[in-house]
This record gives sequence, structure tokens and C-alpha cells, in this order.
Amino acid sequence: MKKGTLVFLALLTTFLACGQNPKEVKANDIPITVSEAYSHEVIVPDLINPWGMAFLPDGSLLVTEKSGELIHFKEGVKTEISGVPEVYNRGQGGLLDIRLSPDYANDNWIYITYSSTEGDEKGGNTALMRAKLSGNSLTDQEVLYKASPNTTKGQHWGSRIVFDNSGHVYFTAGERGERDVNPQDVTRDNGKVYRLNLDGSIPSDNPFVGQANAKAAIWSYGHRNPQGMIIHPETQEIWVHEHGPRGGDEINVIKKGANYGWPVITYGINYSGTAITDETKKEGMEQPLYYWVPSIAPSGMALVTGNKYPELSGNILVGSLKFVYLEALYLANDKVVKREKLLDGIGRVRNVVQGPDGFVYVGVEGVGIVKLIKN
Amino acid sequence: MASSILLLFVCIQNKPEKTFSANYISIQQDTLLTASMKRGKVVYEDFCMQCHMETGEGIPGTFPPLAQADFLLENRVKAIKAVKYGLKGEVKVNGAIYTSIMAPLGLYDDEVADVMNYILNSWNNTSSKMVTEKEVAQIEK
Repeated sequence: MKKGTLVFLALLTTFLACGQNPKEVKANDIPITVSEAYSHEVIVPDLINPWGMAFLPDGSLLVTEKSGELIHFKEGVKTEISGVPEVYNRGQGGLLDIRLSPDYANDNWIYITYSSTEGDEKGGNTALMRAKLSGNSLTDQEVLYKASPNTTKGQHWGSRIVFDNSGHVYFTAGERGERDVNPQDVTRDNGKVYRLNLDGSIPSDNPFVGQANAKAAIWSYGHRNPQGMIIHPETQEIWVHEHGPRGGDEINVIKKGANYGWPVITYGINYSGTAITDETKKEGMEQPLYYWVPSIAPSGMALVTGNKYPELSGNILVGSLKFVYLEALYLANDKVVKREKLLDGIGRVRNVVQGPDGFVYVGVEGVGIVKLIKN
Repeated sequence: MASSILLLFVCIQNKPEKTFSANYISIQQDTLLTASMKRGKVVYEDFCMQCHMETGEGIPGTFPPLAQADFLLENRVKAIKAVKYGLKGEVKVNGAIYTSIMAPLGLYDDEVADVMNYILNSWNNTSSKMVTEKEVAQIEK
């Protein structure tokens, strides 16, 4: 009996595992190859989860640790910044992205996203604040947006921050594990890309301004968990990537007011192997620029410019948490034409940015911040 | 479905108790365990499944398995510690080395106990002793 049960379970497991495989391959995908052309140098050692980073004008670096510490790294020394807001460090939540205002030299504003418990309900939700660095403390804090309601779920907070060149800040908030409630409803937060004026006020030309009960800060919707965002330096387009479920991570070019489909359309399936939907396309819903099957668990994105890495210039880099490498996606006419694994096996890649010195810096869980070096 | 079959399996394992009081404790533990595992499954799907996968098989080379994993089943305290505080450094699971970091999850002690009970009694894993909130609370970093 006991032996029989074991055999049955072993067979069941094998059957389930095998049964899932056919769906977890992307037809006609661009094959990925391992590049040996790059190595790395550790710049900031010994970090657990370096979620966000921003370079200050003096070349020093601000790094967020998801657990809630803000670290100022200058001339080889780490200093912890005091006065950081309390974060809800639970599951994927905590202290998230950090970016300097586009006019930092004059206004000194630093923008930060984090998991906030502000509000009456138990739990937390994604918030955007701006603050200033005075010595070793974070001062002049202004909460610009706080998504609601709070929930104790650990999943899907987003969040990345970018700025355009006409006075707007964009940030993302994931759907907080409520895929059937939040992403398709513009009267609710979560599963959204948001657009605000730099002072947190809502731009009058946002797409849902004036629509009854809509959250007017929403710029696009139908997202799952966006943890990578860039603004294209030439076109000023916002590009966002997001985690799919099991398969179906996507890179999307964000259009004002557009619906990116989650969970009505997706290239992914449930973790259990069952279908979420049969549909991958639908009128009124946007198609991704690229999607991954199986999921790589993307986090962080950078569009490389300049001449430090001639081959990478004009192309994008995306971190893979799941397969522990940095992915280079080479573009031609806004289509992915070639893919490479850089720093293969380095660890869970959480973040990637190009510094003001033109070098690419990569945040790796358990490793720290490393500099990408062309061999 | 697989977990209900496993539950049955756990119950069968627990049967050969002799005295009345031992039987009583065993039955009471089964009821408590079932309830804890049910809560633990919800925690697992929120906090653990994305890396360790739905049936605990993990991702070869990156995230270790939990199903039939020697490290988990033979190091009860280390396993609880990992769920409670996160895990950094090399671990050897079923002969393979894993180096990926597991960041602290931010779970409460009762949630750590529930998810441990779910993991220790699912996917053909069995554990004779239920993990309690009190046991988790006593485990220090």
C-alpha cells in the first residue's frame, strides 16, 4: 500500500511535470546565447537585495535595500541614511526604487517608491514619495501618491520610477495578487503605470481625468507586476517590462490610456500548469514588443547609450531573477533581433542602470552593485 | 489533489499509536496540522511558489527543491531559520550546490509555522512533529 502510494505519486508528479512542457516553449523565439565578452567588478559589496540605485552629482551612489535601509556609498564607505520611512518589508515589498529629479542640481529632490502601511486597513500598498538628502538624513519628505487599499499579500508591488523631459514622473504599482479585481479596473489602484507632475499633482491631460470614479493618476492599465521601466532617450516613449505568471513576461511600449491585457490576455499559464485564458490577443488590448516563455522573472531595465559598450549601444539590458543573468536584447526597428546572456550565473539580477560615467551598474542579490566590464 | 492524497498518507503513518492519550494527542495534532497546512498553502502560494514552484520541485541549478529535499527534511531548525530570517550562502540539497540568496520574507511566526507544516507534509514529504508558533518564536538568527 505504502509503496503503491509512492509509485503513484511519483508517476503523478512525472505526468504533471511532463504535461506542462509543450506550453512552456515559445514558438519561433529568438534563441539566446551566452556571451563571454563581459565580466564584472564588484563596486559595492555585501548587499542582500539592492533594489534601486541612483548616482549623486559627486559620483557617489544611493542604494536601497529592500529591507528598508538606504545606503550612501562614497569613496568606498557605506553610510546608512537615517529618517527613511518605515517600510512594509513583506514578500516582494519593502524599500523599492530610487531616482533623482531630472533637475536635481537645482531642486535636490529624490524620488522613492516603497511599501507603505499608511491608511486604515491592515497590510500595505505601493507609495511614491520625494525627499531631500541633508547630510546623512532624509528630510523634507512628501508622500506624492499612496495606492490603496492595503493588503497583507506579499505579491506584486512593482515598482520603478522614470521621468520624461516635460515635467512628469512615472511609476508603477503591481496588482497586489488580486488579478481578477485590480488590473482591468481604472477605478482601482494596482496593476497600473501612473503619471504625476513632479510635485505630485495630477496632470490635466492624464487619460482618465474627468472619468467618473477613475483614479486620475493612471496612465496605463492591465499590468501584472512591472519591475522595469525606461524612457527612450530618442522617442521619449515609456517602456515597461513586467513579470508574467508561469511564462508570459512582457516588454511593452506604453501608450496613454492603453490596456495591456492582464489577465484577460496573456502568454502565461497558472503556476499549477492550468490555463488562465486561451486568449493571447484581443481588440482594445496592446501586444508586447517582446515576451518570454518560460519566464525569466525580469527586474530592472536600462537602454544603453554612448560609446563605453559599442555593441550594446541602442539596445536594452534586463535583469533575470530566475535564471541569474543579465539579458541583452538587441533591437532593430523596435523589434528584438538577437538575445544574449551576460554575466551568466552571477546571481539574482535585481536592477540595472547606466551611470553618468557611461558604465553599466548591476544590482545583484547577495552580491552587491557590480560594474559591467567589456573584456 | 496531490496534497489530500498525501494527507491521507500522513494519517496512515501516524496510526500505530497505542495508549488512549497518545491516540488522542495524535488525532488532535492531525486536526491542528490539517488546519495549519491549509493556511500554510496560502502563504506558500504568495511567498514561495514563484521560486520553489507549485509542487516544490524548485528550479534546477538556481532554487533548490523542497519536495523530497534532504536539507529540508534533515535540518528542521535550519529550515525554519531560513523561512524566518532568509538564507545566504551555499547549501547542498540532494547532492547539488545552491548559492542563490533567499531574502527575508517578512512572515509572522504563526505564518512560518503554517508554511513549514505545509512544506513538511506535501509532495511526499512527511514529518512526525508539527511545527508550532512557539517553536518558531524560540529560534534565533
